[in-house]
Amino acid sequence: MMEKNGHILTISGVTKTFDGVRALDDVSFSVRSGDIKALIGPNGAGKTTLLNAVSGLNPPTKGSVLFEGRDVVGLRTDQIASLGMSRTFQLIRLFTINNATVLDNVLLGAHMHLRPTLLETVFLRGRIKRQEREATAKAMDLLKLVGIEKEAHALPGELSFGSQRLLELARALMTGPRMLLLDEPASGLNDAEVEEFTRLLMTIKQQGITILIVEHNMKLVMNIADDIIVLDFGRKLAEGPPSAICANPDVIEAYLGAQSKECGVTQ
Amino acid sequence: MNALKRYWWLILLAAIAVYPVIGKPSPYRSGLLIFAGIYIILAVGLDLLMGYTGQISVGHAAFFAVGAYTSGILTAKYGFSPAAAMGVGVVFSATLAFLTGRPVLALKEYYLAMATLAFNEIVVTLIIGFEGLTGGASGLRDIPPFTIFGFSLLNHLHYYYFVWTVVVLVIASSIAVVRSPFGRALIAIHSDEQAARSFGVDCAKYKTRAYMLAAVYASIAGSLFAHYMGFIAPDDFGILTSINLLVMLFLGGIGTIFGPALGALFLKLLPEITYQFQDYELLINGIILIVVLVFFPRGLFGIFTALRNKIVPRMGK
Amino acid sequence: MSDISHLVQFLFSGITVGSVYALIAVSLVIVYKVSQLICFAQGEFFVFGALTMTTLVSKGVPVPLAFFLSIIIAMALGALIQQVLIRPMKNTSVGALIVMTIAISLALRGLALLIWGRESHVLPPFSRGEPIQVLGAALQLQILWIVGITTVVLFLIWFFFEKTPAGIAMRACAENPYGASLMGINTQKTTLVAWAWGSGIGALAGMAVAPMLFTQYTSGIMPMVKGFIAMSIGGLGSIVGSVIAGLLLGLVESYTIGLISSKFSDTIVFALLMAVLVFRPNGLFSRS
Repeated sequence: MMEKNGHILTISGVTKTFDGVRALDDVSFSVRSGDIKALIGPNGAGKTTLLNAVSGLNPPTKGSVLFEGRDVVGLRTDQIASLGMSRTFQLIRLFTINNATVLDNVLLGAHMHLRPTLLETVFLRGRIKRQEREATAKAMDLLKLVGIEKEAHALPGELSFGSQRLLELARALMTGPRMLLLDEPASGLNDAEVEEFTRLLMTIKQQGITILIVEHNMKLVMNIADDIIVLDFGRKLAEGPPSAICANPDVIEAYLGAQSKECGVTQ
Repeated sequence: MNALKRYWWLILLAAIAVYPVIGKPSPYRSGLLIFAGIYIILAVGLDLLMGYTGQISVGHAAFFAVGAYTSGILTAKYGFSPAAAMGVGVVFSATLAFLTGRPVLALKEYYLAMATLAFNEIVVTLIIGFEGLTGGASGLRDIPPFTIFGFSLLNHLHYYYFVWTVVVLVIASSIAVVRSPFGRALIAIHSDEQAARSFGVDCAKYKTRAYMLAAVYASIAGSLFAHYMGFIAPDDFGILTSINLLVMLFLGGIGTIFGPALGALFLKLLPEITYQFQDYELLINGIILIVVLVFFPRGLFGIFTALRNKIVPRMGK
Repeated sequence: MSDISHLVQFLFSGITVGSVYALIAVSLVIVYKVSQLICFAQGEFFVFGALTMTTLVSKGVPVPLAFFLSIIIAMALGALIQQVLIRPMKNTSVGALIVMTIAISLALRGLALLIWGRESHVLPPFSRGEPIQVLGAALQLQILWIVGITTVVLFLIWFFFEKTPAGIAMRACAENPYGASLMGINTQKTTLVAWAWGSGIGALAGMAVAPMLFTQYTSGIMPMVKGFIAMSIGGLGSIVGSVIAGLLLGLVESYTIGLISSKFSDTIVFALLMAVLVFRPNGLFSRS
């Protein structure tokens, strides 16, 4: 574990090129342990690319990503996830094949703790059954936390869009992460749902989980972020506390524009 | 009534057990059911790989061949006991699946289909090529019947019970697998490999494990086949057999365990009905499959569950 | 025969077989490019082409007329299958699509059995005459026909895809179906045309070698598998790649059978395929 207010994630000089195009250009920043850090910027600025570089889905071409002091570049996605970093996706990606239920989706989050082996699954079912009971209880708690426990046995496709986003969050929490990467978790939610979601994120923060969130909804960002980083054309445009970002003329010009009035919320 | 819905398979089990007593089948009839059982083992294994893990294989008969030929060669030429030979076959198949699994299963869709097909043909051509050991294209003869604890299963009915016991074990263990955390990881890989990886699933490893399990089942089926026939030839294990297995999966309803079992049973018993149409058999098979694919995409098992739900109305949930 | 004459003889048989593989691979590629579907029934068009022409010729239809009639019948059959059976299968898994084409191939094979029975049939050569002697090896005239037909067909395909509006539309369709439909290109029609082309070329391959083979209702299986291999080695969607791969495959096969071992020629071919798939999954001739 990192000491209080130490940096849980440090990204330095991360560059990602696709066919010669620089999607990320020498990006460096760090996230303090226990903070909520927001990553904002116009579409195509490289925000999702950055999350994918951190979580290993699409490793960076150059640069380093230190998670709790360990360079995770070069590790497989599943190895990085097992270190205690979990995520949600911009376009919801739930498991839907073979009638997998809402509960099944959350339970998959426990995979890295269960690590079921084939021989045990076929021959020695004692440990697995016991662990499965514990995992199911925890999964139900998380579904309750996000407020969709009544739909535990429904199929993900039967859920409303907002509930699917909550399900993704519950699944990510099930891994017992120390850090969450959230990719536009509030897009497509209505105002009431955003408010509910804001409260939820604060609860998660209180549990000591660090959050790096990509989000367009500035009201949400201003309400929760301790710190903001702005990307534009794959480069870091600005970094700092919300008040400073709101006052930054470059940021207003490149991104905030009409949304800059939302900045007033916390001030 | 709910109990009926949940435990319908017990009725099935009872039917399997009492059929020989009540039906007094001819050796030909029980032979058909023995073949059906062997193919159920193959199809259920392939369903774990394709229906649950989402990895297509057009070469599953390769492991059927490995099991059959390991059993055949070791018992007919080297005096192994059938049970020991079957064990060697299982280890051999699992090892082969372990070694080829990673590179092959890294491929997707058509590329994977082609690679598995190639693997099947390599195994078959090697069998044909190494005549001295395998009997080549003309086949391997004089494979002794199966024996357990010195008790020879020469009688058709004995072998019928033996094969169907294995079938029940295979189905039961497959259900245990798919309803476990292990199975959940397979389903996650099938749904979205990248997302599965993001939740700590080592996809290459789990795909390979599913492949190995399917290979082990196929190998067992091969051993059972070799001892029942007493004679095996490469034709029994070519890509046409692999393709037949695919047909069984989709006919019965892929990704349901019981579906592919039903598909295998149906396709192996179908000749009983269609043999009187002789030359029309192939055409009829093709048309049945087309009709199922177009109108009943969830297969025969889908039809079966729909009917069951109609007769026994849904309770609760 | 001298060593040289042997080598030349193997060259002839390699080119003959390779041309057939190339044609089938091309027929698969055309369908794949437009509908992202590999049709396992392609071997059946090979059989239908060969046997339809054999029947027509035996009934006294002149060879050129029988030739074109057989192609047209195969094209119509392919188009019909696409319209009635493949089109409704949109939005299904690759596995289900593969099994659908397998079902179609079973049905077609069954149909061929009913029409032509279990016997083998041979077509008379397209032209009569003694084999030409080349360096001590015998070059049958039919081989010239096969190579000629393959060349003409490949030229026509090139011309179609590069020079005609319909062909250019088809290419657009293959590269970006959604974009193509926005540009007003009728994707349904293009898919239909591709299937007709694919079936016609598959049939043509069967017809070209019919005088050198004993064709029966099951004869489509092996050419189809080899066509697949050529297509995969060439990199699924590449016409040029699969032509080269098809010829290469024919030559490798012919020389392995002749010089190394007839027993393991297929083992070598399939091992080659696996190696290409694992190490160069985009095909042997792809860049990077």
